[in-house]
Amino acid sequence: MEKDPSVSSAVSRRHFLQGVGGATAGVAAAALVPTAEAAAAASNTKGTIPAFEINSAMPSIPSLAIIALNRIAFGPRPGDVAAFEALGNTDDERLATYVDQQLAYDPDLNADPEYKSRLEVFTPETTAKTLGQLWADHYRAEGVDYSVRTQPLREIERLAFLRAVYSKWQLVEVLADFWHNHFNIYAWTAPIQSIWPHYDRDVIRAHMLGNFREMIEAVAKSPEMLYYLDNESNTVNGPNENWARELFELHTLGAENYYGVISQDAVPVDSEGFPMGYVDEDVYEATRCFTGWTVSDRDSDELGDTGQFIYVEDNHDRFQKRVLNGTGNIPATNIPAYQAPLKDGMDVLDLVAYHPGTARYICRKLCRRLISDSPPESIVTSAAALFRAQKNAPDQLKQVVRHILLSAEFRTTWGFKIKRPFEVAVSALRATNGDMPFSLSHGDSNSFMYYFNPMGQQLFRWSTPDGYPDFQSPWQSAMSILMRWRLLGWLVEDRDVDDSYHVDILAQTPANIRTANGLADFWIERILNRPMDASTRQIIVDFMAQEAEGPDAELDFDNNRVKGRLRTMVALILQSPDFNWR
Amino acid sequence: MSKVTRRGFLMGCSAAIAHMTGARLSYTAFGSQEQEPNQPILLTVFLRGGCDALSLLPPISGDDANYYHLARPDLSIPDSGVDAALPLNDKFGLHPAAVPLYDLYNAQKLAFVHAAGLKSDTRSHFDAMSYMELGTPGSKATTTGWLARHLRSLGADDGVVPALAADSLQPQSLQGFYDAIATQSASSFNLNVGYSYWRESHQASLRNLYSQSSSSMHLAGRQTLDAVQLFADQGVGNYVPVVDNYPNDSFSNKLKLIAQMIRLQVGLRAATIDLGGWDTHDGQANGGAPAAGYFASLVTSLAAGLAAFYNDLEAAGSEYTNRLTIVVMSEFGRRLRENNERGTDHGHGGMMMVLGGQVNGGHLYGPWPGLHTDQLYDRADLEVATDYRQVLSEILVRQMDNNKLGYIFPGYTSYAPLGIVQGADQPIDYSPSLNDVYLPMVIR
Repeated sequence: MEKDPSVSSAVSRRHFLQGVGGATAGVAAAALVPTAEAAAAASNTKGTIPAFEINSAMPSIPSLAIIALNRIAFGPRPGDVAAFEALGNTDDERLATYVDQQLAYDPDLNADPEYKSRLEVFTPETTAKTLGQLWADHYRAEGVDYSVRTQPLREIERLAFLRAVYSKWQLVEVLADFWHNHFNIYAWTAPIQSIWPHYDRDVIRAHMLGNFREMIEAVAKSPEMLYYLDNESNTVNGPNENWARELFELHTLGAENYYGVISQDAVPVDSEGFPMGYVDEDVYEATRCFTGWTVSDRDSDELGDTGQFIYVEDNHDRFQKRVLNGTGNIPATNIPAYQAPLKDGMDVLDLVAYHPGTARYICRKLCRRLISDSPPESIVTSAAALFRAQKNAPDQLKQVVRHILLSAEFRTTWGFKIKRPFEVAVSALRATNGDMPFSLSHGDSNSFMYYFNPMGQQLFRWSTPDGYPDFQSPWQSAMSILMRWRLLGWLVEDRDVDDSYHVDILAQTPANIRTANGLADFWIERILNRPMDASTRQIIVDFMAQEAEGPDAELDFDNNRVKGRLRTMVALILQSPDFNWR
Repeated sequence: MSKVTRRGFLMGCSAAIAHMTGARLSYTAFGSQEQEPNQPILLTVFLRGGCDALSLLPPISGDDANYYHLARPDLSIPDSGVDAALPLNDKFGLHPAAVPLYDLYNAQKLAFVHAAGLKSDTRSHFDAMSYMELGTPGSKATTTGWLARHLRSLGADDGVVPALAADSLQPQSLQGFYDAIATQSASSFNLNVGYSYWRESHQASLRNLYSQSSSSMHLAGRQTLDAVQLFADQGVGNYVPVVDNYPNDSFSNKLKLIAQMIRLQVGLRAATIDLGGWDTHDGQANGGAPAAGYFASLVTSLAAGLAAFYNDLEAAGSEYTNRLTIVVMSEFGRRLRENNERGTDHGHGGMMMVLGGQVNGGHLYGPWPGLHTDQLYDRADLEVATDYRQVLSEILVRQMDNNKLGYIFPGYTSYAPLGIVQGADQPIDYSPSLNDVYLPMVIR
């Protein structure tokens, strides 16, 4: 069978670097490469280049309910703060109960009634299909057009919004967003777009509260990653190091543990015998270990043209290899020749998954997501210790997340993170009780995407394998901020296709509140769940009191100009700096 | 000389807000040629993905040409005949798709530095880009980019748009300079959603909200409002070139935005632009025609765009090009030996270009390490003979009037101009910290 020409060209490394923006690689600022030269450079820079945040005025720390609902969830919906407060008598009790409720995730849709009813309105057609069905129906079937090919990806994209806004399992959605970025794939290309529900469901979501070693194996064997990072074409006669390099650099040990182009023997060894980092030789040797790991995508393959993972023994490099094996360890080549099928690659996955550097790197990223752009080293260290101690536990990642969320560090930080575009959009819909009919067909859903996409965080569309940056500065460009203001304004000020409002601000405003002071206070509390400082609040009040006899005068809600002003006042609160903190 | 100061601008806004009448701010009052400071302008072009310097500047004679052709049976650019390299001197040529750049080279506006780049031992895109853009090879712990530190050490908060990233996200080189604007598209750069009746007081209130503190979020919000106002007043995005030879592609569309900003005279001091797609692991050239295909199309976009940009600004007036220096770089070059998919894998040494009215063009600069296996980095790649910081330092000192190299490139202590650009040298300040501490802008 003739191979679809778009496949081979779509998977090459060059294509994701030639995509949008061509890899403006945002790399976390906290990484340190532990070479002598680097250490010297770092000590030169530390203390001499002041971080801006030092001079910045930080917002005061709000109640634990607000911290929790903005970092464990995508922001509170009306009533969520009160519900959190009712979970116990102390902050400790309330937080522990909330976290345990969230971690007791039950995939039965009946446990999540609002989401279930909205899903029934959406009626996605592809998201329950198996990998084989997706491959056959949306990729290989005769005459499939672009719309059918991309339907699985587009449905998962809209579903991600539907879940994040309306599902009760908020922590699950926060973690799905995290792991999709950690194991980032640019999905808008063939055949990945056609089988995307498989990656979302069977690779990311199936493992994100489970065991990291199992998760990395699922990633390694997923056709999506095999295509994206070229391991699909990695053979003994034509090695391709793309997957192996990113496995070390981005998925496990992280660039903070990369020692560069030096000999394996030059890497220092820790007290347990682990080399303290990886070098280019480890990448080359791991590349050899993964030769023959590919996708069954031809009729002549053993599993046929099905899109399943397959191991092709004839393409495998059978000879001995050395990966992450510290000086003094015997034998020097820790992966012997002529191992059983798949064993070489499985050995590499063990080596990287259980390396202490991986525990620190993964936990630092989780803490950066859940706590602060620069998380305290204390919580990274304790989480990493748990990650290692529970390396064989089936709920290892659940335990680590729980540890991070119940830490003192979690409760005592605020404002060292801002919402990214996805969080802005989702939390605004939640705060305003917005009714957004996410689906592929509804006009409002399409308009929403029209305003969301320029904000800079189109889902599954970051071209390089490092995922969207998870710290503030890339999201503080004029473009990114302006586009979030535009979406927020559109959301509360503009009408739907059927001429109703996306968010009915008037209907949600109690009939006995009709003064500028009252309206400002009601909507500030409603959206932020806390007061603004006095001078900031005054700006909101002054806006609402225009054309009125004063801030305590009754406003005429039959006047269209007053109604418009109220909607714009709500937009202003959503567009304020206060709404952005996490 | 009165200047368009950012501070003055923001104070003007406060006055406007005080009336709540939405008085429009006029930039045209500031926009005349006499009033703009004669500030130099630095444009950095980053070729993302690792540009193959050996295809762009191939050796055309001697042993190195032999090694080159041997290592690249399917990819080497011929040194004679059809599609031959355009000779730059007796040793090196230029890729035949780069004719517009060849013209600028012959007009002595364009110079090349061969075997230039990052000396750190890494073949990772992400490491190499971070090291280069943060300006601290070997360390990604730095919290600000080199271009940001250049601007901060100038105290460059005195323009309406002192820095522009012509892409959707701000590059790491500008990280920590909050007065930078990042934008690719000008067409939706407005706040025209919601009720038009309340639009002006809405924007005035937004400015007031973002003037309540000096947090990074507040600073970024004020910057955004400044940009919205500027774009609205000046019709940004509707640029009319003096000479329009711009290709119709995204790289040139971004260049046009930069050209418009320069000609609007809003105090631009630095701009950045990306051209991606250089990670040519496969299909770098057409079979049997090494000078044609994918890489050649990238070179065409780069060369035609840069030349159109430069010639447009020169036609607008030499007062623009004489203040402008354009520097082109990439995170690394590529391996000498081609792979078996008619591509090249990650390498080490690359090349840089310097273009501008004050450039000593028409020359190749920097030592050449050679292509014999014993001369290669890791016995595989072109060596880095010229540290990219050496090139940038010369431009900073001689053209940008900034001697604070210790702050901009911590640990780099060996200023040694190659003579690429005109301008006077001055005593170098190698101290790692700024004496005058940069304070984030606050409303006063």
